[in-house]
Amino acid sequence: MAQIELNRLSKSFKKNHVINDLSLSAEEGEIVCIFGPSGVGKTVLLRLIAGVEEPDRGDICLNGRDVTEAAPETRGVGIAFQNFALFPHMSAYDNIGSALTARERDKNVIRIKVERVAKLLKISHVLQQAPRELSNGQKQRTALARALVADPKILLLDDPLRNVDAKLRYEMRLELPSLLKASGSTVLYVTQDYKEAMALGDRIAVLIDGGFAQIAAPSEIYRRPATLEVARLFGDPTINLIPGRPDGGSFAIAGVAVPLGPTYASETGRACVLGLRPESLKLSSQAKPGAFPVEIIAVTPLNEKVVLLAHTPDGREIFIAEAGVEDERRAPGPAFAHFDPAEALLFDEASGQRIEPAL
Amino acid sequence: MSLVEPLARPASKTMTDIALSLAGVDKIYLANTKRPIHAVRALDLDVARGEIVALLGSSGCGKTSTLRMIAGFESVSNGAINLAGRRIDPLPPARRGVAMAFEGYSLYPPLTVRDNIAFALKNTRLSAREVAAKVAEIAALVEIEPILDRYPTSISGGQQQRASLARALVRDADLYLLDEPMGQLEPRLRASLRGRLKNLILERKMTSIFVTHDQTEANALADRVAVMEGGVLQQLASQIELKERPANLYVATFIGEPPMNVFDASVETGETFTFTVKDGPRLSYRATEFGEAARVGIAKRPNAVIGVRPHDVKLGVGDNEARVVSNQWLGDQSHIALDVAGKFMVAVSQTEVAERPGERLRYQIRSSRVHVFDADTTRAVSHGHEAAEV
Repeated sequence: MAQIELNRLSKSFKKNHVINDLSLSAEEGEIVCIFGPSGVGKTVLLRLIAGVEEPDRGDICLNGRDVTEAAPETRGVGIAFQNFALFPHMSAYDNIGSALTARERDKNVIRIKVERVAKLLKISHVLQQAPRELSNGQKQRTALARALVADPKILLLDDPLRNVDAKLRYEMRLELPSLLKASGSTVLYVTQDYKEAMALGDRIAVLIDGGFAQIAAPSEIYRRPATLEVARLFGDPTINLIPGRPDGGSFAIAGVAVPLGPTYASETGRACVLGLRPESLKLSSQAKPGAFPVEIIAVTPLNEKVVLLAHTPDGREIFIAEAGVEDERRAPGPAFAHFDPAEALLFDEASGQRIEPAL
Repeated sequence: MSLVEPLARPASKTMTDIALSLAGVDKIYLANTKRPIHAVRALDLDVARGEIVALLGSSGCGKTSTLRMIAGFESVSNGAINLAGRRIDPLPPARRGVAMAFEGYSLYPPLTVRDNIAFALKNTRLSAREVAAKVAEIAALVEIEPILDRYPTSISGGQQQRASLARALVRDADLYLLDEPMGQLEPRLRASLRGRLKNLILERKMTSIFVTHDQTEANALADRVAVMEGGVLQQLASQIELKERPANLYVATFIGEPPMNVFDASVETGETFTFTVKDGPRLSYRATEFGEAARVGIAKRPNAVIGVRPHDVKLGVGDNEARVVSNQWLGDQSHIALDVAGKFMVAVSQTEVAERPGERLRYQIRSSRVHVFDADTTRAVSHGHEAAEV
């Protein structure tokens, strides 16, 4: 049975629909990342589940119990926020223990639990220090420990890595899934970093305009995004989008009929947008069938890739990402781009929905 | 649409090409107090005409102080700054021939965005038509045409940033100083603006220095990157050089996403060179794989720090084996963390990797990809088969 069930939730502030008819269910022990651009209602959603805000409509079931009307402290939910929210006058130990003291009187039990979670999060050596004596990473771990210490069945994490530096964020990204899995909690994890969502989530729920545009496993979202908007939010650099009308299984790019394969043959004449991931585009120096001309304008390295900014003859700007071509240095100038039709994505222009290729 | 000719960079830079030169520059705040703050130390930096240099470092590394001294917003405590053949450090900002886009150097609120940009061309004897054309061109480049007639207070932070960038770029200056020029922009615009900006700078041979804490930005825009830490220039080199031949451990672990994996190791030399990581793997190579200078350098250090970049850890092959801690597919590459000597060793693969956390995976590090650092000084000893430059 699902441990978190959100059923048709809505929430408005004044006339502004922040959460609009939204449903989600998460299984026991699952990590679901709530991902979306800023200002789409991610934090409001967590506040509804925690009970800090009340929904206008819909219900919330946690651990099989309808808690829509229940007080926050009775919901059995652990929370960690992006700004840590530690008590400044208390040691890390007392901050973590504060999550237990309301219910647990036995100091030995508290000590055992705090020490266990501190060991898991590698902060045993700083437990006696005050928050101001902790590094940002240690503060963030302390806040996480406080959320985990009471063994919550449900853990809500609101962008917990937002305020730590890039290096630590990367390390925590590697480490968090196993820490969270070890806790056994069902986790809703809010982030606005698509890489973090892909790295951490068993599934990602993409929140756009108060509703989920897609809820699926990370690789599914990347390879088969439900909508144009979802496709645009995943990938660095972002996906190339070229409007046009397929014609008998091909698609005109800069006047060249590029084959899309027979699977899209039935879409002839429909107003579409073709989506091409930068890494799906391959370059050649010679013209060949199915390749369209481009002018490489700038060559910019991005991590271990090389990102090429190119123009098509009709003035469209496209990105091409190449990995592992270090021996063959690219230079600005003319070239031809082609792609494997199996990697092309086609969207309906009006609705933004992806068009499933026919089998 | 006009197509741009392939742009060739000058192969070597002679002294006559130097546009900007900082010699022995110090910046000491609170110099006459008990606790002076040495923000920049003995900085020597030459920038060639038409070159783009990025000042890169974490906050407090001295990069912004350096930029502000060049701009004239901060005095120089010691040393001299020369630009286009004249000494500029005693001059006020307006007389230095420098165009700036600074966070604090804001747009004039009473003027529209268009007039703000045009104002930068006020003393240039250009006709009104020429000014309008220049403004239109630069506005198109940074994508602010729709807001040209708005006032600075009514546009977003990202638009203000681009307007301020346009105001700097429209000028004809000896040097362009840009402070985090694209910090607030959304990713797609940032990526395409990087490309266009680089193209413009190359085309017009605009000598530029920009400050950033984002190495992606630095790598994308700059010809050379100056990595600063603790007020000291750690290394000034091309991004390939920084990645393949980092001067010290700081640069090695600062540059690169994800950063270089480093381990303390004991070194045995002879017919074979063996690097033994405590509680971790033994990496053995034939001594002849290393060049002579590298062999001599490594042999002098029984204790060293060895490093390998995540992209250079080959998975599924080799004699060493480790437990997978995490396996994360990011759409275009996989990041795998292995438990090596109680630390993470990160490997990046362009394809998906089947092994799940808890399973074991073999890995290989080729001798050509091992970096060796002196354990005490942290300076680089060798990179692959070659000795590091001293």
